[in-house]
Amino acid sequence: MRQMDRYDCEHVFKRLDDYLDRELTPQEMKLIEEHLEICAWCAETYQFQAEVLNAVRSRLQRIPTSSRLLAKVSSALKKAQGEVSD
Amino acid sequence: MTDMHHSKRAAEKFEALLEPILGAAYGTAYHMTHNREEAEDLVQEAAVLAFHAFDTFQEGSNFKAWFFKIMINRCRANYRKRRRELEIAPLDDAPDLYLYIETSNAGLQARNTNPAALVINKMSEEQIEAAIQALPEEYRIVSVLYFMEEISYQEIADILDCPVGTVRSRLHRGRKLLQKALWQVAQEHHVVAALGAEKEGQLR
Repeated sequence: MRQMDRYDCEHVFKRLDDYLDRELTPQEMKLIEEHLEICAWCAETYQFQAEVLNAVRSRLQRIPTSSRLLAKVSSALKKAQGEVSD
Repeated sequence: MTDMHHSKRAAEKFEALLEPILGAAYGTAYHMTHNREEAEDLVQEAAVLAFHAFDTFQEGSNFKAWFFKIMINRCRANYRKRRRELEIAPLDDAPDLYLYIETSNAGLQARNTNPAALVINKMSEEQIEAAIQALPEEYRIVSVLYFMEEISYQEIADILDCPVGTVRSRLHRGRKLLQKALWQVAQEHHVVAALGAEKEGQLR
């Protein structure tokens, strides 16, 4: 099958999430990069989606670990180890 | 070597592998349960289950993926029960570029280079969590793993025991639903109105 040598807006839009996540082949990544360089609309859409992703990520990853957690896990594991060696 | 020595060494090895991923496990558990105490209990239960199953873990393979799989399986049963208690109405479908369209309609794009981040950063932790909680379970698990852990589609597929194509399509829909949920929560809590008022104030 002949490979495409250029993506149009529709092809790019369908693959935008995968492009954002670097989950495409190097060839597909390159075709999208080339399109984003020449298409202001797709470039703006990509930029917007990337900003949403970064904003959600930075908020979700800000969950501080509970100080009690390590103690709880450690104590539960000690108990489990005792059961195993008995 | 005695059994006791063997079991002590296995326990040390297990704890050395577990400790660096506890924070990530807790964060994921928190987004799954929406409750700090339940999240701690879930991680603790998963740690004990994983410890007892440690001889099935293949050395050199991905411990984090292995542990998360145990934790999420454990969570699924508890979570179904909790969802019934919370009676959260699942979201309908959302169109592509949901936030782009809504921030544009609300006039937030004209003077901001980053309108989505503006809205999301103005929301409280509880409001962000409420949006996450509104996602249907199958989309929520994939989205939490993806947003929290920045792991590959393949790794998520391994954790959830499903094809990569399923991860891809759930993540695609999950992102759209999350955008819709974030916007709805932001509107309900007048975050959007407050940003509009700030903008008006700046224009005067």
